[in-house]
Amino acid sequence: MDLVTKIIVICAVSALAIFALWRTGAKDATAPQQLPYLGGGTPDTHAWQRYHVRYYSMTLLFIAFEMEMMFMYPWAVVFVEEGGKAMMEMGMFLAILSIGIVYAWREGVFRWQ
Amino acid sequence: MAVSALKRWAGKAPASVFVAIGEGMRERVERLFADPRIERAATPRHAAIFLIAGPMRLEDREDLRRLHDQMPHPRATLLWAAEVGEALGDAEKLNFTLQPADTSRADEAALDRLTRIWAELSDGERPSEPDLLHDEPPNPWQGIGPHGQGGKGMMGGTPYGRPMAMTADDLRDGLALDPYTARFGPFLPMFPPGLLLEMTLQGDVIQSAKVLRPPLPQAARDDASAALLRLARLLDLLGLPVLGHRARLAAAGDRPSSTLETLGRAIRWSGSTLAIRPGLGAVEGQGDLRTRFDDLLAVTGGSSAETRPELPESAHLSSLLPGLEWSEAMLVLNSFDDETLSALAVVKEDEDKDGHDHEGSGYMHHEHHGHGGHQGDGGHDHHAGHGGGA
Repeated sequence: MDLVTKIIVICAVSALAIFALWRTGAKDATAPQQLPYLGGGTPDTHAWQRYHVRYYSMTLLFIAFEMEMMFMYPWAVVFVEEGGKAMMEMGMFLAILSIGIVYAWREGVFRWQ
Repeated sequence: MAVSALKRWAGKAPASVFVAIGEGMRERVERLFADPRIERAATPRHAAIFLIAGPMRLEDREDLRRLHDQMPHPRATLLWAAEVGEALGDAEKLNFTLQPADTSRADEAALDRLTRIWAELSDGERPSEPDLLHDEPPNPWQGIGPHGQGGKGMMGGTPYGRPMAMTADDLRDGLALDPYTARFGPFLPMFPPGLLLEMTLQGDVIQSAKVLRPPLPQAARDDASAALLRLARLLDLLGLPVLGHRARLAAAGDRPSSTLETLGRAIRWSGSTLAIRPGLGAVEGQGDLRTRFDDLLAVTGGSSAETRPELPESAHLSSLLPGLEWSEAMLVLNSFDDETLSALAVVKEDEDKDGHDHEGSGYMHHEHHGHGGHQGDGGHDHHAGHGGGA
């Protein structure tokens, strides 16, 4: 089957699925059904809200550690051939990364809130 | 062909029931849902049948109507020993006399009726109930304002009928983001039945809480079974529903001590006590949540539920809940016995300084007109003005 046939088949199946959803799917919700579920109570404001994702700083810290590991695996292979030179380079890399971790520590990342 | 096969399978599935628990019915309803023919839906959106169990307060009727309309079609309502006037239209009624001797027969009748309603609904024999409230947004917004958002300016609109949130300082660090103020309850499954709280949240941290309606009084058979049911609720909230179910079975049965010991050991080995932060929900004379949990656990070891000294005057949910995350707050709410909780959830009149009453007036208005959510009047116009004028 060549590429054009594949594309046509995928488009046809997608169109069919969308049509089926449109036909069988839920009709427009009425105003009482649009109310968020609060056990019978009502909200004051729209649910469109800005709030702080508190784990955000922790994900940045995770990336710092994860990048470290990502480079250390291929480095372990090279280390066998290169020896001390590779050791020095990895030491420099870790030093730079740990500055970031120390900075994050100062910013209170390790304090869960 | 395919549709009729689907209908047949749906009819064989357990009936999905959302329940609003009234006065003195909590324990019975919890035992009723141990039956495999029905399952308890967490929200009305997952339910086909709305079960209203037990006597309801007059002011809860409007909330029942809102919950009814949140259910998807096809839907049905069963009033089980509930008196709600004409609030739910001509819903099916099932009454029983509250004789302790024939509770199991009354429960069996309710189960039969629920399974029959579910079979009729899935067959398509029974017409779905129409909306009780009018299909109107809480505030008019369509076609109003330069962008059709229902008002002027960045925050002035009421898209889909509700004003946008204004910023307020977070309790934790003063970060000014959007607070979310809403009335939670009175029939939220993780709340004690009847408790209505007006809470403001930032993310999932509670900034302020105010009791609008106290929990409905509940009658427990004896102290030990009440303690076991309370333990079951806490275990459910801690994410251990299987242990919760075992505790519920122990509460319903005649409890041989060996079963209780095994249950107690299983709970201790689950490490659930360690999941509770020390000092969480501490009340003078009542200990913190961990000590209350340990007290409940001691009931499985055969000791009777410990009586705690009187609550201090100042202890109240409005000072206990702020600062807690939602999950912690739900644990705290469910850790008290009924008496202590109703002492903590006394309605304080003087708190609402600006003289607005979200309850009462709005509800009475609807009792006369027999329609509408209380979104459109009273308290909510005030909030709409707040959003628009700022």
